[in-house]
Amino acid sequence: MRFSEAVRTGTLEIFSHKMRSFLTFFSISIGVISIMYSLTLIYAMTSRTKKALEVAGPGRMTVEMKRNGGSDSALDAKEAKSVITLEDALAVRSEFPGLYMVSPGLKKWVELSHGQFSDEKVVEGITTEWKKRGWVYKLRGRFLNQHDLDTYARVCVLIEDGGWMKKPKWYKFYGWRDKFQDYIKHNDMLGQTIRLGNNLYTVVGILREPPAEKNPKYFMGVSNWDPSLLVPITTSQRFLNGWAWSSGGVDDITIDTGKEATIGAYKRKVDKFIKARHGGRIRFEIKDYREIIKERLADKQRDMYTVLIIGAIAILAGGIGIMNVTLATIYSRIKEIGIRRAIGASRGDIMTQFIIEAMLIGFFGGVAGILLGMAGIQYLASKGDTDMMLLQWWMPFAAIVVAVLTGFLASLYPAYQASRLDPVEALRYE
Amino acid sequence: MIKCENLQKTYPLKKGQGYQALSGIDLEIGRGEFAAVTGPSGCGKSTLLNILGLLDNPDGGRYLLEGRDVSRFDDAERSDLRLRTVGFVFQSFNLLPRFSAAENVRLPMLYRGVPKEEAAERARALLEKVGLKGKADNTPLELSGGERQRVGIARALANDPVLLLADEPTGNLDSRTGLEVMDLLRSLNAAGLTILMVTHDLNLARAAGRTIKVRDGRIEP
Repeated sequence: MRFSEAVRTGTLEIFSHKMRSFLTFFSISIGVISIMYSLTLIYAMTSRTKKALEVAGPGRMTVEMKRNGGSDSALDAKEAKSVITLEDALAVRSEFPGLYMVSPGLKKWVELSHGQFSDEKVVEGITTEWKKRGWVYKLRGRFLNQHDLDTYARVCVLIEDGGWMKKPKWYKFYGWRDKFQDYIKHNDMLGQTIRLGNNLYTVVGILREPPAEKNPKYFMGVSNWDPSLLVPITTSQRFLNGWAWSSGGVDDITIDTGKEATIGAYKRKVDKFIKARHGGRIRFEIKDYREIIKERLADKQRDMYTVLIIGAIAILAGGIGIMNVTLATIYSRIKEIGIRRAIGASRGDIMTQFIIEAMLIGFFGGVAGILLGMAGIQYLASKGDTDMMLLQWWMPFAAIVVAVLTGFLASLYPAYQASRLDPVEALRYE
Repeated sequence: MIKCENLQKTYPLKKGQGYQALSGIDLEIGRGEFAAVTGPSGCGKSTLLNILGLLDNPDGGRYLLEGRDVSRFDDAERSDLRLRTVGFVFQSFNLLPRFSAAENVRLPMLYRGVPKEEAAERARALLEKVGLKGKADNTPLELSGGERQRVGIARALANDPVLLLADEPTGNLDSRTGLEVMDLLRSLNAAGLTILMVTHDLNLARAAGRTIKVRDGRIEP
């Protein structure tokens, strides 16, 4: 039996039972939509992780205070008064010269003004090591140097938004406008003096981010705690007034071992070293970058699983629907099966026919699902869902394959039943 | 061409009981014969036809088709042989209602793997041969009873069978149309086709070359 003939017969059959077919299409569609959605999410997560690791380098880890008050049997919370400090960072730096980077950070929420303009911004105090934290910028003027750090210089570097190469439509409506970014775009701040907290600072350099499309950090999700200004960490500690997480110390120390292989070893060494410096009276943790990324993506992962489960149930329901339809079809077509057997069709021919019919139902349902799903995903992307922008061309194909495969599997049993019918009895059936 | 020796067939009814449809049929039919099988309802005519047409296996005895014992063939072997050597014509035509006349005729060829275009061409030629020129694209519902039976005959001829089995081919037709169909069968027989026809109509039976009377699962002498 020619494949095209089976397809034709199947199509005739499907379109002569519109409601029955539609209901099956419907649940297959839902399955296909959720498969596409989950695939996009999975893809977005893996590509973000990959990009984040590319930017960070393979050997990245962070030392920070334990933020949640989880119990630590070895240590009473009241006892643990000590915090990680700039001195810890400097000591780690000199103790382990093999590390590629030891970069402490201290963020403060600071009032800023220049002439009539005023705003509140995150200012991060850093050391010169910061340069090694994934440099994607274009620099005008100069960066902070060791001299600034040593002399508590009141200088700062601004970080300017890179904009878009081609602004997406949604950005106009939903994009969050940052008035500080607008201000520095229209006023050349290099060499100007601005007020941060109670002191005046000179802008010695401006870092321009690459456009959003090319900025690997953009797809990692921008948070409100990303700094707009950088100052020497020593200056920040001595002069800058503003609200900060850490009381007296630093927020975190970002360390890069330079190689993925040495992370584990350095993690243990640094942990022991810092503990020793504080006499054990400190509650901190060292997370390597993979863990941090995993944590950031945990919510999305939960979303994905939920959608995937809904999708699996929908596909399963669709499959049962197909099985039901195929069985019903067989009972209403016993006579036809008898006729086909009498004129020479083998069991295999009959089986093939019903399987192809079911696969067609899967296919049409899949196509319907893809059309709806694509529309939905485009809509989400146009609302600014950056995950949904990462829909890949092969995902609809994968979804179709799943739908057709569902049809195939669901029809095996009914088609087998059909092929086992006794031709004489089937012919006599009215 | 056909040789049956002591063919038996029993249909199970209840536990341990059975209905013996054929109780020892001995039959020989030569190439090019036109034989009518007659007998009262339930005498086993249809069972005999089904076994001769390879739709069913006998429980006992031997069935030789062109010298080959086919009585122990399995389903796949029977399907293949049925496809290549036997054509069925039914009382109620048994056409597929959603397909056109030409598509119905084409179907057995497609099962045999004949290319689509070739099959379509041959289907048209066959429909012309049975006197249905110009009706190839009509569906069975748009055809009269006699026309439907002609489509049925054209379909039975699709794979050039050596044996045509007709189960009361005129049973659903008025007598005039029935005679026309009978004429068509006779002309096919004249061209060399072996035909076995089950009928109630003694006039039709007489028109066939030979009459085989079946009673209670046996052939009457």
